[in-house]
Amino acid sequence: MADLQVGVFCFLRGIRMSDRRSINRSMFWRVLRRSVFANRGRLFVILLALGAGAAITAALLNLQVDAKRRITTEFRAFGSNVVVSQRTSRQTVSNSGTFSASILGKILEDAAGRGENASGKSIIPSPFLYVVGEVATESSPKFKVVVVGTEALGLVNSVAPTWKFEPANGPEWTGENCLIGSKVAARLHTTANSILHITLNNEETTCSAAFTISTGGPEDDQVFAMLGKVQRAAALQGRISLIQIFVPGPPQQIQSYIATLQQEFPDVEVRPVRQFTEGEARLYSRISGILTATVAVVLILTALCVMAAMTNVAMERKNDVGLMKAIGGSVRRVLRLFLAEAALLGLAGGLIGAAIGIIISIGLGKAVFGVAAQPRLIVYPISVALTVIVAILAAYPLRRLVLIRPASVFRGEE
Amino acid sequence: MFFRLIADNFTRRPRRKFLTAAALSLGMAVATAALSVSLDVGDRLSEEFKSLGANLVVTPEADSLPLEIGGVDFRPANSGAYLPESDLPKIKSVFWHNNITSFAPVLDLKTMLDPIRKVPSSVEVPVIGTWANHSLRLSDGNTFLTGAARTNPWWSVTGDWFKEDANECIVGQNLAKRQSLKIGDRIELQGGELAPRGRAQIDDESLTVTIRANVPLVVTGVLSSGGPEDDAIMVPLNIAQRLADKLGQYRKLYVSALTKPEDDFARRDPKTMKPDELERWSCSPYVSAIAYSIKQVLPGSDVRVIRRVADGEGKILTRVRALLWLVTFASLLAAALAVGASSASSVIERRTEIGLMKALGAGSGTVGWLLAAEQLLLAFVGGCTGYALGLLLARSLGTKIFGVPPEPSFLVLGLILVLAAAVTLLGSALPLRRAARFDPAAILRGE
Repeated sequence: MADLQVGVFCFLRGIRMSDRRSINRSMFWRVLRRSVFANRGRLFVILLALGAGAAITAALLNLQVDAKRRITTEFRAFGSNVVVSQRTSRQTVSNSGTFSASILGKILEDAAGRGENASGKSIIPSPFLYVVGEVATESSPKFKVVVVGTEALGLVNSVAPTWKFEPANGPEWTGENCLIGSKVAARLHTTANSILHITLNNEETTCSAAFTISTGGPEDDQVFAMLGKVQRAAALQGRISLIQIFVPGPPQQIQSYIATLQQEFPDVEVRPVRQFTEGEARLYSRISGILTATVAVVLILTALCVMAAMTNVAMERKNDVGLMKAIGGSVRRVLRLFLAEAALLGLAGGLIGAAIGIIISIGLGKAVFGVAAQPRLIVYPISVALTVIVAILAAYPLRRLVLIRPASVFRGEE
Repeated sequence: MFFRLIADNFTRRPRRKFLTAAALSLGMAVATAALSVSLDVGDRLSEEFKSLGANLVVTPEADSLPLEIGGVDFRPANSGAYLPESDLPKIKSVFWHNNITSFAPVLDLKTMLDPIRKVPSSVEVPVIGTWANHSLRLSDGNTFLTGAARTNPWWSVTGDWFKEDANECIVGQNLAKRQSLKIGDRIELQGGELAPRGRAQIDDESLTVTIRANVPLVVTGVLSSGGPEDDAIMVPLNIAQRLADKLGQYRKLYVSALTKPEDDFARRDPKTMKPDELERWSCSPYVSAIAYSIKQVLPGSDVRVIRRVADGEGKILTRVRALLWLVTFASLLAAALAVGASSASSVIERRTEIGLMKALGAGSGTVGWLLAAEQLLLAFVGGCTGYALGLLLARSLGTKIFGVPPEPSFLVLGLILVLAAAVTLLGSALPLRRAARFDPAAILRGE
């Protein structure tokens, strides 16, 4: 104990003699170490408060970064949100409303080129060619129907996430056979895999009816077949009438995507599906608002929690501070000691808590979105830094130490 | 003596008690705000999703297949079936009438624009007849305001919507640009032929004269919808009926309903259910159950769920709800920690007092009761003020995020008081147990 007191004495007097300097520094850490571990119970309470605060902050921050992105990919459930169509009016049937399919390849190249847009799944443009044709089966007569040529990959991934396929648990549609709208199917009395005769432009092709789809939209009245097949039969090689794209990302990103696409392809009209883009934008801003508010609230509560614990520290240390002042320690040095203690605790709590929080957020992401949230490394230093700042700010009650008068402490007064 | 001790304790050190109560009420305020907002959030989000528009579509059962490309029906005129407009008030008489927020009937046709003034040359345009803001008289005497302006909230009209009883129309923005139509312009739409055809004999030549019921209209607005309506002319339903010669009829009905996200149970076919299952199914506002009940009141109709809207809504709503409950739980946890820590510190600082009481012969139980009663009183006061503060916070938060403040709920008050009591007791239990082991002599000596 004796050497400790000498050390404290030298340290507090700030003796700047060169041979004392190293003692001085080591003494600072020594006093710090002693005071941190002096009361294990209290240390535990403060560390718990800081750690829990850091854990919740880190989990929410990670979830916020992840959830914003995840929510925008969830919007995939609404299907495509950007449509490319021909610029002039679409008033007459068949051939005139089409444009060259070469744009499709360019959009794909473009999507591959801009890596940042391809967050989550990549952008898959889905081409559509609409032709009025006639369909019939062996048993039912011919009637007119809209035949749609498309590609399976884009359809299944970006247009049809909510379409109800019948049979539901069959293999995924690969484009080898036809999809029949539910109302067409009801009229044709098709059974699974019955052969469909499609007449387009006096050219007849056949395909087997693999799935019946019901969407509640115009698709219920249509027959979907492979794009190439429809193009060949309708003598519209290399032509399409519409491209639907799902662009993931926040609203500004979709807008800028539309703008650049329009700039690159001035011959066609690129427009957002406003019904969905506007709803998505609104929902997105609501959710990020809620998440930001919660992170702020949790930080405030953590500060409150640490402040309560720090008030305790100040109370318990009255005697120590009185002693330090009595042997000549300046208020600044004493305060520095306490602030260093707070920062050290904040750092320790933050390092442990933030790590736990990120691990928690991975599991939470799995619970909420079905996919584990990706740990963002940037979240870790941010939450540790926030915890340290909160710990130092919460040390505000220590200001009362300035008022302590050594004499009254030694007399045992309150 | 017991109460005197408690009262004395509160009056003797008001500042310290005030600080503890302040921390407590701040924590509880945050908990209240988080709870109120998330209790309210489900309804708010469902309403948010209403901006996606109708989730049900009603078509005639006996209809021929529409040849619809890009929103334009290529069927020859007068083919297909129609539904009577007079049945529409019945929709608000179904069991789920409170969930049906709006609906709009549609009658579409194609006709010639400006058939007389051939400069610039008249063109064939799609015409969509619907209700804009229609007040519908219901069977119970009330009126219900509905129409396309409500089922399609993302449509924006520069100028005004047409009035129901006037010869007015709004023009899609693309069409307006192509035909250089402005607000205030007069146009004419070609109507159906009026029977019988007149025949005139002029200089031995036989002429066929067709008289058509043309309709002159004034453009009152330009519509931007982002859909096929941008290339069409929207007119009041009765004018479309006149143009198509289908008085009192419509072809399609869009219904917007508040629904519960569908689960596996909801997707089952009602025909295969047992009676009790059917009851449970039709007592949940699943979109398919609402569709079923609409079909019951509109004879000859086929009600389909617009999967893109309904399923997308359901999927995202489930996710977002889970996310929000999680966030609420996190803030409750943080609030509990904060309150627990502050009540723990309020017990720790009274070690000397506890030592004195024990030295005077009080048992650990008595001391425990005394402190617990104090903490409970504090929890009650802090919980109540926290609730009041939290309501204010929830108001500003709710207004900021959703534009509408959440309804105050007494359920939240109960929850908050229970939470406050539990957390303060738990927070003080740990230091109290340690205090019970204190040696009074050591404490009184000031060690």
